[in-house]
Amino acid sequence: MRTLRYYLKIYFRCAVQYVKARMQYRDDFIICSIGMAFSCVTTIFVFRILFNTIPNLAGWSFDEILFIYAFFLLSITPVQFFVDNIWFLRYDIISGAFIKYYLKPINILFYYMSERVDVKGFSQLALGVATLIYASSRLRMEWNLARILLMGIAWFSASLVAMSILIIAGSTGFWLFGGSLPVLNLAIKIRDFSPYPTTVFTGIFRILFTYLIPIGFVAFYPAQLFLRPGTAPLLAYASPLIGIGFFLLAYFIWSKGVDSYAGTGS
Amino acid sequence: MKPYLGTIKGTLIAWFIYRFSFFFTLAGNLLYMTLIFFLWKSIYSGADTIHGMTFNQTFIYLALAGSLFILFTPGTDWTISNRIIDGSLIVDLLKPVDFQILTLARTTGFGIFNVAVITIPSLLVLFLGFRADMKLGIGLLFFPIGIMLSFLISFAIDFSLGLTSFYTESIWGISTTKTAITSLLSGALIPLPFFPQSVQNILRLLPFQAIYNIPLSMVTSPNLSVLDYARALGVQVFWVVLLFAFCRWFYRRAFRVLTVSGG
Repeated sequence: MRTLRYYLKIYFRCAVQYVKARMQYRDDFIICSIGMAFSCVTTIFVFRILFNTIPNLAGWSFDEILFIYAFFLLSITPVQFFVDNIWFLRYDIISGAFIKYYLKPINILFYYMSERVDVKGFSQLALGVATLIYASSRLRMEWNLARILLMGIAWFSASLVAMSILIIAGSTGFWLFGGSLPVLNLAIKIRDFSPYPTTVFTGIFRILFTYLIPIGFVAFYPAQLFLRPGTAPLLAYASPLIGIGFFLLAYFIWSKGVDSYAGTGS
Repeated sequence: MKPYLGTIKGTLIAWFIYRFSFFFTLAGNLLYMTLIFFLWKSIYSGADTIHGMTFNQTFIYLALAGSLFILFTPGTDWTISNRIIDGSLIVDLLKPVDFQILTLARTTGFGIFNVAVITIPSLLVLFLGFRADMKLGIGLLFFPIGIMLSFLISFAIDFSLGLTSFYTESIWGISTTKTAITSLLSGALIPLPFFPQSVQNILRLLPFQAIYNIPLSMVTSPNLSVLDYARALGVQVFWVVLLFAFCRWFYRRAFRVLTVSGG
């Protein structure tokens, strides 16, 4: 427990320094928050236009899809806050700056990620919460303590999956000469499909997006625990296991990369 | 003209070094097509046409939009912004060439490379792999011209956004907002005919639909009259001229406030 407290203390200190530095660029923060909000709202518009034409999507109504999307926004918020530095890993690997992380007596993944706390996540979080409240009131969802607790667990598991996807994609930078940007973009492109029901896929593709690239666990499966608890598949209840398992896999791949990195000699 | 052709060639060669990492971009695009295919298959279950478009037309429209999105996102705005931040912009400004055309030449190098490694392979998969069945018509002759004009419109928007970082010295927020607005209002995410009629009327007055919707509708409805296609190209030319003129004017203004940190 002492180490946990130690790590929390370090994280808090790094975060405070980073946020202080960002405060120098207040306009940038405002513009970025607007940009973030725009990209979230765009997706809601797409759903709205789509549902003007069709009554339901693979059996799910507009309000239900909105709820899944809100859940999706919430589960990618921790990614924005805590692992955003993964986008910069490729520069640090190529320039050799990454070598400094080996020289401190703390976990490298932790140390690397603690250097950036992306405050753009605030606008994602706000939109996610607002959409969730709106959608659940349209669906006349009852919220009690047990459900809020379940929400906490589901959200935690889903965000572990979302984080792991990016950590794996970013870690490819340890091996790829051209950098990990195309892989990260690929991961984001696939991830952005997680608010859609995985039931639209058939055969091999449903297996692919459930197990191999488990975007189903970023939003669709866990959200079913709230939307249709009676008919939710067993898989939905397994999401904490999937979350933890997938995160361990991501950590394993990251560690392999860290071990294989030889620096640039500069 | 010679320095610009040299730049195009140089950029093209530089990009080819990274051809393997573009394998992931191509794979991403093919996966995107697959996702689009299943999603819209499910939307079309129980309907032959929606807003006058068959599944086949919608799928070709959106799958091509995905491929064109990669072609039209060369990151010109990011390049300009990064060059301001690290100071290397000054090297470009000292050269006896026009900065806007130099940037266009670099972007064109990327474009040609992209057509070779992403667009053409994606088209092959679309028509051979997915067996998307495309009607042949004169629209297809106009399609490549439409793409080139779209590329120029998209470049002009990116270039002027890059210039805003002369003022803000950051690009993420502005670029993300642009991508969100452009992809929604141009038909890249959902075909333009799906929008309510009143919204469509407004969208047709904006430059965004000239980037995606105009060339894409040349492919999905290839049997209109020559006059219709000529009119569509006319709209694109109008936007190219207007936006390039705007870039010129804006560049001259922005240049005055430019601060480059010592290199």
